[in-house]
Amino acid sequence: MLKETEIKSKIRGYIIKATFDDIKKITDKTLIFEEGVLDSMGLLFLIEFLKEEFNVTTNDDELVVKNFESINNIFEFIKSKLK
Amino acid sequence: MKTVTRKPFSKEILHIEDIESFCSTLIFKLRNDIAKNLQRRGGIVGISGGIDSSVVLALSAKALGSNNVLGIMLPEQDSSNDSKILAEKLAAKFGVNTLVEDITKALDGFNCYKRRDEAISRVIPNFNPKEDKAKIEIKQDITSNLPPAFSITVIKQDDEVISKLLPVKEYLQIVASTNFKQRSRMAMLYYHAERVHYAVIGTPNKHEVEQGFFVKYGDGGADVMPIAQLYKTQVYQLAKHLGVPQEIIDRTPTTDTYTAEQTQEDFFYQMPFKSMDLIWYGWENNYSPQEVGKIMGKSTQEIENIYKNFERKRKTTDYLRMKPIF
Repeated sequence: MLKETEIKSKIRGYIIKATFDDIKKITDKTLIFEEGVLDSMGLLFLIEFLKEEFNVTTNDDELVVKNFESINNIFEFIKSKLK
Repeated sequence: MKTVTRKPFSKEILHIEDIESFCSTLIFKLRNDIAKNLQRRGGIVGISGGIDSSVVLALSAKALGSNNVLGIMLPEQDSSNDSKILAEKLAAKFGVNTLVEDITKALDGFNCYKRRDEAISRVIPNFNPKEDKAKIEIKQDITSNLPPAFSITVIKQDDEVISKLLPVKEYLQIVASTNFKQRSRMAMLYYHAERVHYAVIGTPNKHEVEQGFFVKYGDGGADVMPIAQLYKTQVYQLAKHLGVPQEIIDRTPTTDTYTAEQTQEDFFYQMPFKSMDLIWYGWENNYSPQEVGKIMGKSTQEIENIYKNFERKRKTTDYLRMKPIF
């Protein structure tokens, strides 16, 4: 099982690679959709990344802000799915 | 100091008071655009039996004269039969000549259906394109503060419904494949326009243009778009005034793109037109979410989330409206 820091670092690494954003701009608390870091296509690619990297499949009813709002929230979502 | 007053937000705010003079202005502008700016001798309109193309055909006939307008129906194997019947009725009403160009073979040549069905089958392995119907839809509520994601819904012959969230690769392949439809139509419209030295008159309304509900170089490819500034409810108001057949006015707007019945609301807008028009107007004209919410019977938070959804849609689709960069 991956550690929390490793999971968060992988998510952050993915977002930075996908958006060409400055690494310092994105913290674990950054509201990635609210602040426009990722758009709707960004959400779809992020879902694919979670599947490929962590084998986490997202269902229709899990597409809620609580699960994707920030790196912290995405980590909690992954954790709940890997239980 | 000059005080700027504006109308308080209301459900009637988009109603066109003097429809006669409003139409005359649109008609005069369209005539001027075609004859003077584009220097063409008439107009081509792709007609589908939908409300937007019907209003554009009616305006074109009044602006240019029926003899200088050609309505083209562009069905393909997934088109509804109603579309052709309604389009013919419309053309007859305004005395406009029509042509039918079935684009199924062209789409087959592009492997449009094959590429689309391959992607659907990867998500729903028992999908049988010969018997089943399929469509794409957004299932999230518009007030959710997350961008929308698309689901594929397959309706089996025995009415069993299977729906799954679309992975990005399959979503993109389905959209790219079906976009051949709008792009093939555009190519055919320009063939006829060039053949008779006419302009292509586009049919998108304000929401389609601003929320990016069109295909770049497909239905977004035209020389002039006379209703691109109009809200959907205003298009309906014009339709009544211009005498568009009632069956067309009463028809629920569909995409006519997928094999299963699919309203534009299911596919893209996530809310009824009447509400969307008003809230979009409120957003565009800086009415506070509180003022809009009060009239629309929604909470301030809901309107704030809808405003964010609009902002996101416009930003995400900027690419569609951009001209080539050089």
